[in-house]
Amino acid sequence: MSELTATHFLTLSAALFIIGMLGVLIRRNVLVIFMCIELMFNAVNVSFIGFAWEQHSLVGQTFALFIIAVAAAEAVVGLGIIMALSRRLDTVDIDQVHELRE
Amino acid sequence: MSAEVLVFDILGAIAVLAAAGVVLARNPVHSALALVVSFVNVAAIYVILRAEFLAAAQIIVYTGAILVLVLFVIMLVDPDNLPEFHGGRPVQRLLALILGLALLGEVMAAILTRTIVGQPGPWSPQAVAAVGGNTQALGRVLYSGYVLPIQVTAVLLLAATIGALVLARPDTPRVRALVRDTATISLAHPRGSEMANGVEPALPALAAGQLKLEAGERTLVMAKSGDDFLDQPVWGERHQS
Repeated sequence: MSELTATHFLTLSAALFIIGMLGVLIRRNVLVIFMCIELMFNAVNVSFIGFAWEQHSLVGQTFALFIIAVAAAEAVVGLGIIMALSRRLDTVDIDQVHELRE
Repeated sequence: MSAEVLVFDILGAIAVLAAAGVVLARNPVHSALALVVSFVNVAAIYVILRAEFLAAAQIIVYTGAILVLVLFVIMLVDPDNLPEFHGGRPVQRLLALILGLALLGEVMAAILTRTIVGQPGPWSPQAVAAVGGNTQALGRVLYSGYVLPIQVTAVLLLAATIGALVLARPDTPRVRALVRDTATISLAHPRGSEMANGVEPALPALAAGQLKLEAGERTLVMAKSGDDFLDQPVWGERHQS
């Protein structure tokens, strides 16, 4: 509790990432799974920016910026897939979606 | 220095609690709102870590664009299709919990035993302040060494936009093209002539192959509107019920 160190934000990043991972594994609603993936992206961003802060470098921030851009693209395509799914199969339950398996 | 740690701990605790709320909330809208809280707190942590531009980008892109998109999709998805899916899979939940705890243990061990620290880079707080701030410094780094990735990102965003348009299109384009090619004749019955007994005259039933167009041929379908021979309402026409 004396000074802000790398351990603080790495712990925060690990906690956020694992909560997101648990959400992906436990939940069955595709929309909530999507939100948990965004949470994991965010956890990785915290890591990158924390390391950039520690190392006096801006490469980590650059990387985080690209991650945000890619997450936006992923969000657009993912939500489009969810829309198509709910229109085609009338469900957003991940367990009901097994067309590829059959 | 201790105040900084205190602020970090409060923001981090709220972010983690909100993230747990995303996973635990029964209603997807509540999950989305908890996600907003988590993202805003993480953006505040970015400010502590001297990444002001990314804090702004985080709020604009995540809470401003992605979360609004998520809420729109929740609104568009039929509420009957949004039951709660918590129960019924105890084995998977237990396995997920064990995996999560194992990963947490591994990562915490890695974090706490971390010893390798690289050489400090050139962008000390003084150097960042010398060029005018975080945004200017980030711009200098971005547009000197990362010009090609920026252009690739632009192409990626364009591809994602086109992909979203393709995915969001109605999924029966062929039938819709058929509707445009079909000559529709309105069968207007004189009032009282055939409706006298209160029974509407039935339309001729459609054969299964009737909707398939041969090349260069037009089908004549007897129907009052496009909805009478299609499952889904045709865009631009009012659904008659």
